[in-house]
Amino acid sequence: MGRTATLAEQLASKQREISVAEFFERNRQILGFDNPQRALLTAVKESVDNALDACEEAGVLPDVSVEISKDESGPDRYRIVVSDNGPGILKRELPNVFGRLLYGSRFHAHRQSRGQQGIGISAAVLYAGLTTARPVKVTSRVEEEEAAHVLEILVDTQRNLPKVVSEALELWDRPHGTRVDLVLKAKYVRGRQSPLEYLRGTAIVNPHARLVLVEPDGTRITFERASSEVPPVSKEVLPHPYGLELGELNAILKQAKEKQLSEALPRRLAGVTPRALKEILAKAGLTGKEDPGTVHGPELESLLSALHSVTLLPPSAESLSPIGSVLIKRGLRNVLGELRPDFYAPPVSRPPKIRGGSPFLVEVGLVYGGSLPPDQPVQLLRFANRVPLLFQQGACAITAAVESVDWRRYGLDQRGGQGLPAGPCILLVHIASTRIPFTSESKEAVAEDPEILKELQLALQAVARHLKSHISRQIRREYASEKFTIIRRILPQIAEKSSHLVGKPVPDLTPVITEIMNVVTLETASPEKDTGLDVTITNYTPRARVLEVFAEMPSELAGQLAPVPPPDGVDVGLGRMWWTLPKLSPNGKTELRLRWPKGHDGDASDFDWYIAGVDESHLLGADALPGDWDVRLPRQVVEAAEAAELVGVVAPGTTEEPEVDYDGAEKAAELEEDD
Amino acid sequence: MAPKRPPSSKKTTDEPEARLDALAPTFELAAQIYAQLTKGEVPRMRLPLRTKQNIQFQLKEGVWRLGRSTGTRSARKLDGALMLLRTFYLVDFIHEMARDRKTSTLRELYYISEQWKDAKFHSEDESNLLIEDLEVLCTRLREDFRLHPEENGASVIGDLTIQETNRKGVVKKINCRDDVGDGGYALPFNVEKEKIKFNACGAKFVLAIECGGMVDRLAENGFDEDQDALLVHLKGQPARSTRRFLKRLNEELQLPVVVFTDGDPWSFRIFASVAYGAIKTAHISHYLATPGAEFLGVTASDIENYELPSDTLTEQDTKALHAMQSDPRFGTADWRSEIDLMLKNGKKAEQQSLAKYGLNYVTETYLPEKLGEMNVL
Repeated sequence: MGRTATLAEQLASKQREISVAEFFERNRQILGFDNPQRALLTAVKESVDNALDACEEAGVLPDVSVEISKDESGPDRYRIVVSDNGPGILKRELPNVFGRLLYGSRFHAHRQSRGQQGIGISAAVLYAGLTTARPVKVTSRVEEEEAAHVLEILVDTQRNLPKVVSEALELWDRPHGTRVDLVLKAKYVRGRQSPLEYLRGTAIVNPHARLVLVEPDGTRITFERASSEVPPVSKEVLPHPYGLELGELNAILKQAKEKQLSEALPRRLAGVTPRALKEILAKAGLTGKEDPGTVHGPELESLLSALHSVTLLPPSAESLSPIGSVLIKRGLRNVLGELRPDFYAPPVSRPPKIRGGSPFLVEVGLVYGGSLPPDQPVQLLRFANRVPLLFQQGACAITAAVESVDWRRYGLDQRGGQGLPAGPCILLVHIASTRIPFTSESKEAVAEDPEILKELQLALQAVARHLKSHISRQIRREYASEKFTIIRRILPQIAEKSSHLVGKPVPDLTPVITEIMNVVTLETASPEKDTGLDVTITNYTPRARVLEVFAEMPSELAGQLAPVPPPDGVDVGLGRMWWTLPKLSPNGKTELRLRWPKGHDGDASDFDWYIAGVDESHLLGADALPGDWDVRLPRQVVEAAEAAELVGVVAPGTTEEPEVDYDGAEKAAELEEDD
Repeated sequence: MAPKRPPSSKKTTDEPEARLDALAPTFELAAQIYAQLTKGEVPRMRLPLRTKQNIQFQLKEGVWRLGRSTGTRSARKLDGALMLLRTFYLVDFIHEMARDRKTSTLRELYYISEQWKDAKFHSEDESNLLIEDLEVLCTRLREDFRLHPEENGASVIGDLTIQETNRKGVVKKINCRDDVGDGGYALPFNVEKEKIKFNACGAKFVLAIECGGMVDRLAENGFDEDQDALLVHLKGQPARSTRRFLKRLNEELQLPVVVFTDGDPWSFRIFASVAYGAIKTAHISHYLATPGAEFLGVTASDIENYELPSDTLTEQDTKALHAMQSDPRFGTADWRSEIDLMLKNGKKAEQQSLAKYGLNYVTETYLPEKLGEMNVL
């Protein structure tokens, strides 16, 4: 008996507190410092995320530079210098921000931001200290001060407290900003999981930021900003009761300054209306007069279950900062433009939804074609709160959602209708939330939450539908260009050669051309120097047509444009213009000339074209009038269309019988050579 | 456009004077297209389909010929329009050669098409197919259009004396056993009477052999002399001239033709093209195929009976065998059971695997046994 007690005491004597910093020192992988290559990327990422968060909070257009260079003080050492034009950090905060883990301003805030836990940058400082024994050198200047403070800081791992090694004042030409200078054991690589890819992704989803990377070999890569709008600062909101856990509720009530529970609940939690309050208190069996700080035990539990069961106002989405479809497109174009994709799908930005008391929303963008490789798996760009996710793609809800869509239905290859699809395509997926359920602290992958998965699937399908219609338009265009090749190049030669052999003049090919084409086409071309748009409408049908052509365009353009011939009607408000074309005989064409007004550079993509007077199955390059346009067509258009249709009716039996296409028929597949 | 005259008579092919009107049908082609254009119709030609679904057995000739199913080559589709245009470029070229008294190899024609801009061929297969199409449309042979393959040189060894008019116009008498080297007599691409006449023949039957190695073995063992055999090397899938030559031996000299190949699906097809007619040339089977030709082996049962060293059938082999099950040429009970047996055993074997029992086994045991069964010896 005595022996056991002694052992227990011996064991007890070894028990002692482990500091957070010590814990992370031993478990580097949790924070993304498990190997030198990853450590470099994580340090860059944490510094840049902080810089962007700071700039946005201050409403400044971010200008962030990242310089990475080899440090000669030891083997495998690199120096990272990240500087920004943010508001700067007060001197008294600098030691804690950089030298203490779990210290931050955003952990308790219910709003979307890149960093949340207050671990990132101090973990980088910790890692730098561990591998090189060098402190971080931070230079920071706030606008009100004349000079910048320069501090060298280490993390005291045993106490999880900052240790300031030196401090000084320095003149800095920037009015405000922060510069972080770290030396750490690292390895620089290029490729998929590199600082360059991280910054490229960051540039896409932060088109308002200007990012510069200087690589160790001196290569300088600049991502210029594509938008000069600072995203609206996401608002801090109260925690919403849905998804709240017991401990959190307890903490909120303990900190409440209100005297009574009935006052504290509406002020400390979101969505609690007076009516809901009554219901909650009734369900929980409380009066409302209780001191918030004293509610505990069974009372607390019944209060929580009442909060979860009562219908409340949904959480506000003001705490979110979506990129928005306009800027997603602009960001993609800015960064991926050199790949010359031929299609940017209209990005989808879903309305906010609630998950576990926190609002979240999902955004998806897609580019297709151009010089993207046609037979590789699609490139998936994952983002959480505007931060690129470069690791653990396989473990992420975004990947799972992409894989769960049957992309074959939308025109991409996908083995068995599952897994990552293949095709010349890049997919951008962004999840924004006040609290993103990451699978680990290193924030590389989003957990597979059913609500999030569902939203992701809806957004992906919406974008995929755009892709599908693009691909079918493309097929139609290819079909058309095949027909044009036949009638413009091949048919005339067939006619010339056969006529020559029989010794007769070449016959008029119009009936054959209209028989092969049987469409009305609308083609646009830019005249020299892009001064406008030339629109050619050709009647490649066997019937004479009177057509009504509609152009839809931005309304300011509709107000200024003076086309030749002048339109027969303009509706500036709706941005519409229309013409009744002269009667076009088979193979006949006519042209509309548009010239940009002074100070306005238009573009063919500003216009949508619609044609009435011919069935939509015989239209190419324009669409039929949308059903909801309440348009009265001129009498001659209607009459000509009716006449063409009457002539178009073919007596039964005279239609061509379905024939086997000789050149498409299965050829003798046998390997019978025969020379 | 259906062929007007079914190419049933040998007139067009056997008599050189028939070639004089070779160009006439090409004018007809142009006239048809021209008529369609003036009527406002999309230009098109109708051609019999050269597929295994569209071959029919001709009782009279004992060979498989093209059936009645046709397809349309139409200018509505780019591929069709291009083939129509190529047809006229080809016709122009044929007229030009006739005027200049030139001939061209198939391969040269393929390169000639480099000058045809939009209409140039993408592969030699494409140009060869079009020439066959033109043969069908005009009921002529490609030689009538002054187009011929490269010299193929399939070789013949045995006691046959032929009289060949060589390229200098000199008539040479050649005995295919005594006047030739070890390589045998090499067949020219033209084996018609105007080029080759049969003078005398001591051989009692023809043994058509797939592989060169086996031809050499039989020659070295003196099989041609001992058994009065005429050895013809097929060189894999036999060229038109080889098949035509076999047919002439069979018809004019009444020599039985026996085919000796590897034991695998591809070799069965070699036999089919010799005896029944190939699908690709089904329009001229009556001119190329030897209906009396018989298959000696290696059969699927030979592999078992002679315990021959074998290989496992590959995926392609199995696929080919399955395709043959729906090929009407292999519809006989004998072929059905042969194919089923090969599929069941999953084995194939080469002719030369007989060497398992020594170099003389094939000439002393295998061939005498098999030829005995077939009543050839």
